[in-house]
Amino acid sequence: MTLLAARGLSKRFGGLVAVDDVSFDVYEGTIKALIGPNGAGKSTLFNLLTGFDRPDVGEVLFADTSIVGLQPHRVVRAGMARTFQNTQMFGEMTVTENVLVGMHTRLRTGFAAGALRLPPTRAVERDAIARANHLLRLVGADAFGDAPGADVPHGVRRLVEIARALASAPKLLLLDEPAAGLNNTETVALAASLRRIQADGTTILIVEHDMGLVMEISDEIIVLDRGRKIAEGSPRLIQKDAAVIEAYLGEVIVDA
Amino acid sequence: MRSRLAGTLVPAVGVILVLAMPFMTTDRYLFKVLTFVGLNLIVVAGLALLFGYAGQISLGHAAFFGIGAYTAGYLTGEAAVPWLVATLVAALLAALVGFVLSLPMLRLKGHYLAMATLGFSEIMTVLFIEARGITGGNDGLRGIPYPSLGSFKIDTPSGVYLLVWITAIVVLVLAANLVRTRPGRALRALHGAELGAQACGIDTGRLRVQVFALSAGLAGLAGALYASAVGFISPTTFSLEFSVLLVAMVVLGGTGSVTGPVVACVLLTLLPYVDALVPGLPREVVSFLQDWEADIAGIVMILVLLFAPGGVAGLLRRSPRVGEAE
Ligand SMILES: Nc1ncnc2c1ncn2[C@@H]1O[C@H](COP(=O)(O)OP(=O)(O)OP(=O)(O)O)[C@@H](O)[C@H]1O
Ligand SMILES: [Mg+2]
Repeated sequence: MTLLAARGLSKRFGGLVAVDDVSFDVYEGTIKALIGPNGAGKSTLFNLLTGFDRPDVGEVLFADTSIVGLQPHRVVRAGMARTFQNTQMFGEMTVTENVLVGMHTRLRTGFAAGALRLPPTRAVERDAIARANHLLRLVGADAFGDAPGADVPHGVRRLVEIARALASAPKLLLLDEPAAGLNNTETVALAASLRRIQADGTTILIVEHDMGLVMEISDEIIVLDRGRKIAEGSPRLIQKDAAVIEAYLGEVIVDA
Repeated sequence: MRSRLAGTLVPAVGVILVLAMPFMTTDRYLFKVLTFVGLNLIVVAGLALLFGYAGQISLGHAAFFGIGAYTAGYLTGEAAVPWLVATLVAALLAALVGFVLSLPMLRLKGHYLAMATLGFSEIMTVLFIEARGITGGNDGLRGIPYPSLGSFKIDTPSGVYLLVWITAIVVLVLAANLVRTRPGRALRALHGAELGAQACGIDTGRLRVQVFALSAGLAGLAGALYASAVGFISPTTFSLEFSVLLVAMVVLGGTGSVTGPVVACVLLTLLPYVDALVPGLPREVVSFLQDWEADIAGIVMILVLLFAPGGVAGLLRRSPRVGEAE
C-alpha cells in the first residue's frame, strides 16, 4: 500500500530547477533510498515533502491525504518526521531533552499543567524520559543522554536526530544523510538500527551517499540527477542502470 | 547530588526568610523597598521565559506594567471594582494587549523585535499621558485603594510586602515548573533551532504568541499590585528606562535560568537603596553609586556579556559541572 505519493513535484530557485517533475511512491513498511550526486535536489525534495518548502507545482499525498501547503508542525502531526542534513539540535539542551522535545505532539501538557506540575504531569514526564532513553538506546546514542547537544560529535547528532524524529511515533521517517560523519562500525550499527525501526512498523525514506548502506538496507531506490528522476527500482536494478552509472561517472556504484 | 540538594535547600531557606521578615523588623522603608523587589521579580519571571528561554527580546514590558497599573488603579479607584477582580482584569488586559501586539510581530526577530516593542512602549507612554479621562494625564492617579478581599484590608507595609512576595514566590515556582515540562522545553527548542523545533511538531508561531502574552500578563499583574501597593501612579514610572532595567536583570541573570534572573533582579533593584540598607557605608560611596547607577548597570552588563555570557546562572552552573568532570 502506498503511504507517501509524490506527484509531479517541481521547485525552482530563480533560474535553477532544483526539482523537476518528480513522481514516486513509498510503500508502507519499506525502506526507500533517494540517491543522486551533490546538488541533485534531494534535500530540496525532502523540504517539499515535509512542509519546509512549497512546491511550485505538484502534489504530495500522505495516506491518501494531500499535505502540500501544510506547515511543518502539521506534517509531523500527520505522521511524518524528519532529520536534517545540517543538524538542527538544541545545543543548550541535553541529548535526552532533545528527544523529549520530539515527543511534543505525543504529550499533552499545556502551559497550565506544566506550571502546576501535579503528580499526573510528573508521571507523564517520567514515562517520557523512559521512552526517550529507550529511543536513544535504539539508535546507539544512549551514552550521550546527559551531554548538552552542542557538546556531542557530529555523527552522534544525526543519531540523536533520528531518535528525536522517532519520538513523535511517525508512520514515515525521512532521514537526510544519517551516516555522514559515522565511521564504518557506526554505519553498520546504524544499518541494524534502521532495520529494527523498520521491523517496528515505521516506513523509511532515506537520502544517503554511502552506497554500501543504501544497497544493504533499501527495498527500493530512486535516483535524482539535476532535479530529475533518472531511475527507480530495486538495488540490483539500479546498480546496473546505465543512466545511473553515467550520473555517478561509474566510480561510486562500482565501488559498492 | 550536591547541586540538587542546593537546588531545593537554597530556595526553601529564601522563602522562609521572606516570610519571616515581618517578625524580624518593623522598618516601613525596608518593606517598601522589598515590595519593589517582589514586584520586579514577577515581571522578571515572565521576561526570563520570554527572553531567557524563548530568546525573544521585549523593550515594552514597562508599558505592560503600566497597563496593569492604570487598569487596576482606575477600576478600584474610580469605578469601585473589588480589588481582586480589578487585579485579574488588569493582568488579563495586559496579556490581551501582548497577544494582539505579538501577532504582527511574528515575522520579526532580534533588533527588529526590539524596535517594534520599543515603538509600542513609546506609544503607550503617550497614551498614558493623553488618555486623561482614565489615566489622569501627567498628574497620574491618586488615592488608589489598598488591596482588600471583602472587608479584609491589607493596608500595612508589611502586609503589602507579604502579599507581593507570596505572589512573586508562587509565580516563580510556576515558572520553574513550566521550564521543566513540555511547554518549557518547546520554548527552549524554539530558541535553540527553529527548524528543529518545527520538525518536532512545535507550532512556533503559536508558541511565540503564547509566551509573549504570558509575560505581558505577568508584567500587568505586577503593575496592578504596584498601583494598589503604592496608591499613586504617574506616567514617568512606566518609561523605557524601566523596560531596559528589566531586560538587564534577565541578561545579567543569564539565559535559560530562573534562579539567575532572580538574583540579578534582587541586586539591581536594591542598588539605588544601598545607603539605607547598608548603614555604615561612607557618604561618598553612596552618592557615587547613586549618581552613576545607570552607568554602573551598563558597564556591569557589558562586562558580563564579554566575560561571563552565561550571567549569574552561568557562574552558578560552572562550579558543579567542573566537579562532576573530576
Ligand atoms: N534555498 C535555496 N535557494 C537557492 N538555491 C537553492 C536553495 N536550496 C537549494 N538550492 C540549490 O538547489 C540545488 C539542489 O540542492 P539540494 O540541497 O536539494 O541538493 P542535494 O541533492 O541535497 O545535494 P547534497 O547531496 O549536496 O546534499 C543546488 O544547486 C542548490 O544550490
Ligand atoms: Mg542534501
